[in-house]
Amino acid sequence: MLALALAAGALALVAAPAAASVLGPRAGHSSNADDIRTAYWVAIIVAAVLVVVVHAFLIAALVRFRARRGRSPQRFTAGARAFVRPVVPLVAVVVGLFIFGIVMMSNARDVQATGPDGLNADADLLAQVNDLSIPPTARPLNINVIGQRWLWRFEYPGGRPGDRIFSYSTLTVPVDTPILLHLTSSDVTHRWFIPALGGQVDVIPGQDTATWFNADRVGTYSGQSMSFSGSGFAAMRGWVHVVTPQEYQQFIARKRAGLARAQKDVVKALGESSTTTAGAP
Amino acid sequence: MSPPPVTTARPELVTEERPRRRQAWIERATSADHKSIGTLYIGAALAFLVAAVAQLVVMRTQLIVPENTLTDPEIFNRILSTFAVTGVVLFAIPLALGVFSYISPLQVGARGVAFPRLNLLSFWLFVSGGFTIFGSYLWRPTEAGFAAFPPLSESIYSNTHGVDAWIVGTFLALLGFVCFGVNMVVTLRNMRAPGMAWRRVPLFTWAANLCSYLVIVCGSVMLAALTMLFIDRNFGGVFFDPGYAGAPILYEHLAWFFFSGAFAFIVIFAAGVISDVLPAFARKPLFSHRAALGCMLAIAILGPLSWMRNMYTAPIPTAFMVAAMFLAIALTIPIGLLIYNWIATVWGGALRPRAAALYAIAAISAMTVGLAGDLAWSLIPVGWQIEHTTAAQAATTCVIVGGAVLGGFAALHYWFPKITGRMLGEGLGKAALAAILVGLYVFAAGSFLAGVKGQPTDVYKFFSGEGLDGPNLMASIGAFVMAVGALLQLGNAAHSWGRGVAVGHDPWGASSLEWFASSPPPVHNFDVVPDVRSAEPLYDIRRAIRDRSDSWQPPAPAARQETPAPEPEPEPVGGGDSGDAQGGTPVA
Repeated sequence: MLALALAAGALALVAAPAAASVLGPRAGHSSNADDIRTAYWVAIIVAAVLVVVVHAFLIAALVRFRARRGRSPQRFTAGARAFVRPVVPLVAVVVGLFIFGIVMMSNARDVQATGPDGLNADADLLAQVNDLSIPPTARPLNINVIGQRWLWRFEYPGGRPGDRIFSYSTLTVPVDTPILLHLTSSDVTHRWFIPALGGQVDVIPGQDTATWFNADRVGTYSGQSMSFSGSGFAAMRGWVHVVTPQEYQQFIARKRAGLARAQKDVVKALGESSTTTAGAP
Repeated sequence: MSPPPVTTARPELVTEERPRRRQAWIERATSADHKSIGTLYIGAALAFLVAAVAQLVVMRTQLIVPENTLTDPEIFNRILSTFAVTGVVLFAIPLALGVFSYISPLQVGARGVAFPRLNLLSFWLFVSGGFTIFGSYLWRPTEAGFAAFPPLSESIYSNTHGVDAWIVGTFLALLGFVCFGVNMVVTLRNMRAPGMAWRRVPLFTWAANLCSYLVIVCGSVMLAALTMLFIDRNFGGVFFDPGYAGAPILYEHLAWFFFSGAFAFIVIFAAGVISDVLPAFARKPLFSHRAALGCMLAIAILGPLSWMRNMYTAPIPTAFMVAAMFLAIALTIPIGLLIYNWIATVWGGALRPRAAALYAIAAISAMTVGLAGDLAWSLIPVGWQIEHTTAAQAATTCVIVGGAVLGGFAALHYWFPKITGRMLGEGLGKAALAAILVGLYVFAAGSFLAGVKGQPTDVYKFFSGEGLDGPNLMASIGAFVMAVGALLQLGNAAHSWGRGVAVGHDPWGASSLEWFASSPPPVHNFDVVPDVRSAEPLYDIRRAIRDRSDSWQPPAPAARQETPAPEPEPEPVGGGDSGDAQGGTPVA
């Protein structure tokens, strides 16, 4: 029995990394996603142990005490003291998981400050956004996210309020920089979720919610809305394109130039149309 | 010890006037007898189970391969939007209510229920609710998601009357359940046999009591939410309209309160069934009757109160979230003690592997897996990752299928002889059990693997290249196997209804009072209402009869007539009871 358990343990150690990629969430690339994964593995292992223990006793009881010729049941019942033995481990599990859950929740809400490779965004200092705790040195980049059926719209900082640049579906952000997402919806309820970059958060019309991430690596991370929103819901996907700060600034400059060009075109068209429409009734 | 007087009758006189002969279906539809209503409830619930199985099969066929275009998204969403209500409100709850209605008054030695017509009304309200929802399939049913969360279900985004049909149908069914709950609560408070104290009521009846309170409290909350949504849609209300400072999240709170209550309802129903079935088949009393009473009460309180555990992603104050997490995790203690209680009941017994016992054990297994999963997601950070994914759905499905389908079929196997006087087919029943259990676990494993990778529930399709192909195929195959098992068991029940093996009044040698009546029981249930001296009244009665027949020479014929002697078991198992002339449970 002991040898069997040891063999199973050794096998588990060898197979663990392979199993983790199947049984666990996609790898995290932000510190809040890493906290969530730690919590996930602890919780799922506790749950698995409980399931195994219950089934071991259940199967043992079924095998040992099934009806056989010559066996008569022992009619016994228990008083309250019989429950001391199971209550102690259950209470320990409950208290342990509860405290662990609170700790990991607040860890995942601690916004990580800008790293050495990050962009030093000149954002306004925000002490508190919803329940996130933001250190004074964080210098986060504030992005407005608007959910609409069945797209995500991202508003980038900088520029006058009416002059902001935006993108659809793909959010481009610098690496190693805390990104604060301020989310709202222009129609029904959506739910923001990029698994590699943290947990889900509701996107509700008429209400502002917030979440954050600080991507540790350049790359593209995908996710999709988690709240049913009608016929196009399954295709309401979003991508976060994490780039270097230089590339991010080039992206912004390009977008800004495109905006300026478009505005210039409008002004030009206005001039042309004002001449062409002068004679119109 | 002197035998308890088994002849004590209540003072009221039982009169049976000869009713006018009416056609059988009119009699069946209008009878206010709680047993007839219970049978109707069970039949209707099983019919809606067929509908739910069909819906599940269509949805899993659509999701069998990535980017499937077999059905339109609109068609898929219509099926999706009625599936949850079909499974929970039209199948799981009424199935439990049906068995409660049939069995619980018998178990407490009552000759009827307090408000028989209210009971009948509750059934017809429920059925008209079901017809309203499925009737909307003739036009255009709701496409607003499983619980019709606003703003999607508001008239600007869902401007057909499908959502209205869904609201009205769900409303009628829940109103019926509230009526049922009122009747059952009053019946169980006032009409128990002499000596049937609360600490002695069978656990299934205790489940009936708790579940009745749950449908009254949680059902009423949902009735309020549905009313507000209906006013919003049709009479210019702005309860949930953010444009006028309404709060969509209010509906979420109310709906999740109801669904958490329904979830606790299913767990408590199954706990009641298991707590009655296991002692009967292990042939020993429940390890601790009183602890089981307390654990089930704790689940009934903690379950609905932890509704916000489904809303960790919503903007609610941290303190509320933490409180919900505490309540959800604390549920582990009563559930764990219940499981301990059940295992200790089997321990030292002689378990007869009949289908009812096997279904009960399978229900323990499935609910353990599902509730352990729910425990994991009830940590707030894990919930942020797993909620609203198919992984959370897998755990919920394990509990609902484990509780309502496996627990429900355990109840059906156990009480089928009481309802029909016939045995529900054992062989087919066990085959169906194997299919349901294997299918459930394959389905749950597939859904779990897809969910941890981030696949949301309710999607019409998924995309290839994200590692979701294999898990979804697995979930679909599991769902099909599960569907085959469920249909097999329904066919088994339909066949056994008229052609099952006829058995006596007391085939299992159980110790609760429903087996004191004949099978099926007469309209007034009991000719003689026994005096209850313990949590196992029928065991006491059998022992009294045995003592009397041992000591009296010869037994007085008059005394024998007063008590319908329970018949011996059809299959005496083991040698311990071979000398036991009256059958039933031997004394060790």
